[in-house]
Amino acid sequence: MSLPQILSQLSGGMVRTIGIFFLTLIFSLPLGLLVSFGRMVKNPVLKNLFKLYISVMRGTPLMLQLMVFYFGPYYLFRMNIGGNWRFIAIILSFSLNYAAYFAEIYRSGIESMPVGQYEAAKLLGYSRSQTFFRIIFPQVVKRILPSVTNEVITLVKDTSLAFAVAYMEMFTIAKQIAASKTTFMPFVVAAVFYYVFNLIVAVVMEKLEKKLDYYR
Amino acid sequence: MRKKVICAVLCGMMAASLTGMAAFADDEAKTFTVGFDAEYPPYGYMGDDGEYTGFDLELAQAVCDLEGWELVKTPINWDSKDMELDSGSIDCIWNGFTMTGREEDYTWSKPYVDNSQVIVVKKDAGISALSDLAGKTVGVQAASAALQVLQDEEQQKALADTFAGLQEFADYNSAFVELQAGAVDAIAMDIGVAKYQIENRDNGEDYEILEEHLNSEKYAIGFKKGNTELCDTVNADLDKLLADGTFDKLAEKYELTDMVCLGNDDSEEASSEAASSEAESETAAETEMAESETESAAE
Repeated sequence: MSLPQILSQLSGGMVRTIGIFFLTLIFSLPLGLLVSFGRMVKNPVLKNLFKLYISVMRGTPLMLQLMVFYFGPYYLFRMNIGGNWRFIAIILSFSLNYAAYFAEIYRSGIESMPVGQYEAAKLLGYSRSQTFFRIIFPQVVKRILPSVTNEVITLVKDTSLAFAVAYMEMFTIAKQIAASKTTFMPFVVAAVFYYVFNLIVAVVMEKLEKKLDYYR
Repeated sequence: MRKKVICAVLCGMMAASLTGMAAFADDEAKTFTVGFDAEYPPYGYMGDDGEYTGFDLELAQAVCDLEGWELVKTPINWDSKDMELDSGSIDCIWNGFTMTGREEDYTWSKPYVDNSQVIVVKKDAGISALSDLAGKTVGVQAASAALQVLQDEEQQKALADTFAGLQEFADYNSAFVELQAGAVDAIAMDIGVAKYQIENRDNGEDYEILEEHLNSEKYAIGFKKGNTELCDTVNADLDKLLADGTFDKLAEKYELTDMVCLGNDDSEEASSEAASSEAESETAAETEMAESETESAAE
């Protein structure tokens, strides 16, 4: 089997892999910020609730969460899980899982800000939301970018976990081609794909870091 | 104030995801969803054009053509096959699915392939009978029928006890590489898969199948326990496909002619299967069971 043939068969899976990647980022980055707020509120009930959420999401394997989200609705509520549910369950579990990791990254950034900045802002008449979005958050983003890059790179590789619920992402298809053609060639292609994908992620994030590297 | 806003947003997200779930009870237009392992040639695999094909899938297509159904080929993760079938995301498991030993767990169609579990070895390894395997390492696919045979006291457990060890692996590709590299001395697998591998591997002529088989078993289509209606329809269609020669033509195409058994020993099979003529009372009882099952499910 020729390389172009393998590539063309894998291309559909690559599109799906990239789809999981971007949708997960789009949902989990804002969600993570909300969770980090929840994690930092003073109300002990709410705070512990979010702590529990983070603890469960980080403490159980994503592969297991995928299966719970995909099969759960049927076993718990006897709901029909046909149609698009497979894909929705994947995006849901990836987003909720990654939001937990991002929440802790945001928290590390937010809590590293000196109290003096809040006090100065208050003195200058900034409201609490103004203080956060105009003064604190831009600095937080700068500080946490390297950790976020780490997480994003992990996400690229984690997309292959979608095979647990038989979603035809790139690596699942690579395994199928490998089985029918009795060759390991598709895995080489898969490795190159992941590497190039992550190289792009790393380069883009580095550019972003440089761009945000003002006030120095 | 801020907290309340955050709470509201989070609640909104939860609600949105819940309604999202409910919206997926879509009405299907006579589709027939076949679940299969896409890493299981020649029964189900990815063809050169990227479409899924294989003996079982083409047969399923022929049944759908007869009924006017639309065939949906859903590749599944073999380890989750029961959950997929239970939850209704697939209508049946049709993929070289071994019936022997699992009779009670599914509603089965008529068996259509006579399969055996065999041992594949390297030609120059000096292994020519099952007894030569004593002290050797044998590879077997995880959760496979071959593994079941080797662990069953009534079948080949005694033989398996003579091995140096059983090495479980995930797919046949790596198993063959391990065999070639000497990590395992033999592989236990289905005869159909063994033939496909030997035929298609670059160094296929290095391997041979032992003449002595581990056991003989049958492939059938597995439906969710109690789904006799769909099963009967498919059974009737299989008979039609056998009568008009389509079945044999497909068997020939995939070089399974000496293995297919649909219709060969029909009278014999009828005793174990719910053939309409003699087992009517049995079928009625089964339907009743199915009904009570549905009821309890509804509760």
